[in-house]
Amino acid sequence: MIPWTEKYRPKKITDVVGNEEAKKKFIAWLNLWLKGKARKKAALLYGPPGSGKTSLVHAVAHQFGWELIELNASDVRSKSAIRERVFNAARMGSLYGTRGKIILLDEVDGISPREDAGGLSTILELIQISNYPVVLTANDPWDPKLRPLREACELIEFKKLRKTDIVKVLEEICKKEGITCERHVLSAIASNSKGDLRAAINDLQTIAMGKKRIDLADISILGDRAEQASMFDIVRIVLTAKRPEQALAVLRFPNLDYEMLLQWLSENIIYQYTPSYRAIADGYEALSWADIMLARMKRKQIWSLLPYALQLMTAGVASAREKPPFKFVKYKFPEKLRRLSRQKEKREKYRQVAKKIVEKIHVSTRTLRNEIAPFLKIIYENDEDMAKKIYRSLGLTREEFETIIGK
Amino acid sequence: MSIELWVEKYRPKTLDEIIDQEEIISRLKEFVRTKSMPHLLFAGPPGTGKTTAALALAHDLYGEYWRDNTLELNASDERGIDVIRKRIKDYARTLPIGDVPFKLVILDEADNMTSDAQQALRRTMELYSRTTRFILIANYISKIIEPIQSRCAIFRFQPLPKEDVLKRLKWIAEQEGVEIDEEALEAIWEESQGDLRKAINTLQSAAAIRKHIDVDTVFEALGKVRPREVKEMIEEAVKGNLVLAREKLRTLIYAYGLSGIDVIKLLHREVLSSRSPIRLDGVPLADLLVLIGDANYKIVEGADDEIQLMAVLSKIALLAKEASKRSG
Repeated sequence: MIPWTEKYRPKKITDVVGNEEAKKKFIAWLNLWLKGKARKKAALLYGPPGSGKTSLVHAVAHQFGWELIELNASDVRSKSAIRERVFNAARMGSLYGTRGKIILLDEVDGISPREDAGGLSTILELIQISNYPVVLTANDPWDPKLRPLREACELIEFKKLRKTDIVKVLEEICKKEGITCERHVLSAIASNSKGDLRAAINDLQTIAMGKKRIDLADISILGDRAEQASMFDIVRIVLTAKRPEQALAVLRFPNLDYEMLLQWLSENIIYQYTPSYRAIADGYEALSWADIMLARMKRKQIWSLLPYALQLMTAGVASAREKPPFKFVKYKFPEKLRRLSRQKEKREKYRQVAKKIVEKIHVSTRTLRNEIAPFLKIIYENDEDMAKKIYRSLGLTREEFETIIGK
Repeated sequence: MSIELWVEKYRPKTLDEIIDQEEIISRLKEFVRTKSMPHLLFAGPPGTGKTTAALALAHDLYGEYWRDNTLELNASDERGIDVIRKRIKDYARTLPIGDVPFKLVILDEADNMTSDAQQALRRTMELYSRTTRFILIANYISKIIEPIQSRCAIFRFQPLPKEDVLKRLKWIAEQEGVEIDEEALEAIWEESQGDLRKAINTLQSAAAIRKHIDVDTVFEALGKVRPREVKEMIEEAVKGNLVLAREKLRTLIYAYGLSGIDVIKLLHREVLSSRSPIRLDGVPLADLLVLIGDANYKIVEGADDEIQLMAVLSKIALLAKEASKRSG
């Protein structure tokens, strides 16, 4: 039996429902690509599951008559696997003469650094050498390990599908399968799917098994689908909860990355709770305790501390006093995480220069940084000659000296 | 070419050149004369000559070959005890050059090692004790485990007396052709007390500003030593601009490269600064100290720098807001 999600995969771009903006952006990018004018050689389609990312790529390939080279999460995507299966195709002409091609690497956020060794860097290489458009998809593009890929790609965001779009597709399928089903039943299936068309179609197929007619009673067999909310949604639930208990709801999301959540809350709490200093201070107090609970848990292996940490960062934050009335806030990605990854290179450079100096003046890097560099900076800013004499006598270039004093 | 950083340029090269810590120096000279010594532990505050004494001892023991017979390590910079042990092992394998029957290992900032690492170090000391002698250097003797203390002759370095510090500063100024007022010398002493490294660094940076150093020059230099962002960060928090306060904090951490603990210490210093302390109306100093001390503790325990410091700053913003409500 073919899954309906495959059987009814859209064949034309117009058959892909919802996300009009993303579709437009993607087609525009492809057009630029074909003219050799695209700013980025690859596109990263990201968004929640079942929002149409993969379907759009399939529809494009089908409509334009392109060969689709696909590698998804069920395949091994180590360095050698990617090289073997995709590299040749990406370089050579198509088997079918002058036909175009499109390369799809599905769910790149699922690539495991351990099992798919070298996978991510190989994808970067692939993007560089490919003669055809490369398209990646991901649910969570903000995973730090994906940063290099993000930079190499045109980012195109897919949002959760609206209920009406899902109902429309379900109706269409029922018609083709010859199933009678009332609209409010389909609507219930759509609600339960929480914007995930793939889930809705799977549910429909499950219920319709061996039936020609379905009603509301049939859908009771469906389990509640746990939502894979994005960090933005999770932060919003915590920071706009009216009662602390409401914030606890986010703990039910599968795969909640609580360390990430802590950083996201810390980044955004000020924006949401301004102008109430009481609320910000209370919220931060809860965050600081959640933070230290996690640190103690990890250091001393006291796993029983985890619930406290989780509750502090959700219900604890939401129990802040004097919270301001709800307002819509555009949340930001934690600046700290962004800077940390950028910082690595800088720190390595600093370490190398510092090493040259500390050997000569018999202090630690820390002493250099905290007790000597501040004086060097004053000298640099006030007496060019003296500064030059110092860095030359230490065997440093001017640039290296500037690294040390943070110029 | 000598190094033009005055702390290094005027670092005494031999034991004879060291004027202070007379008792200690005379014992060290005795080790040189007899060409025998136990393991040593130098303890005392920063800038009192511990590293200088260790290097001078090496110099006097081995003369021109001192570098070949001395392994200098800094516990804060080596990545873990295994790296330290390996470096010692590689180094201790060869015999000393010259007529001294042992080689030296100088391990600076040894009190930054965990007690587990110190245990491992103790075994290493025993393993190579036939061919090497250790000089361990620490600020706090209490942070060195007892089994190591008991294997070492302990020397306590005292903060340098005022007259010696001033004499040294004047002498350096003379060598460098810099004039300095008595009042300026006093100001340097006030700030550095018995820490000669800090005193000389202050002198050199003041000399970079003006060749005739008066008291204002010293204050100008000292005012620039601490990143101004610390004060600005607190001021923004007091004004209630937490987003700007966070920007300053991030500058300190990412541009200056300070650790969370460094920032906490600077914050602490601002609160207790003698010239312009941070005070909030109706807020007891004790509350501020508890706030900062608590964040310090949490960061040491492994908590996140930024979250802990922002928790402190948001509390300061709240206290400031309440204080201004009360007063007006």
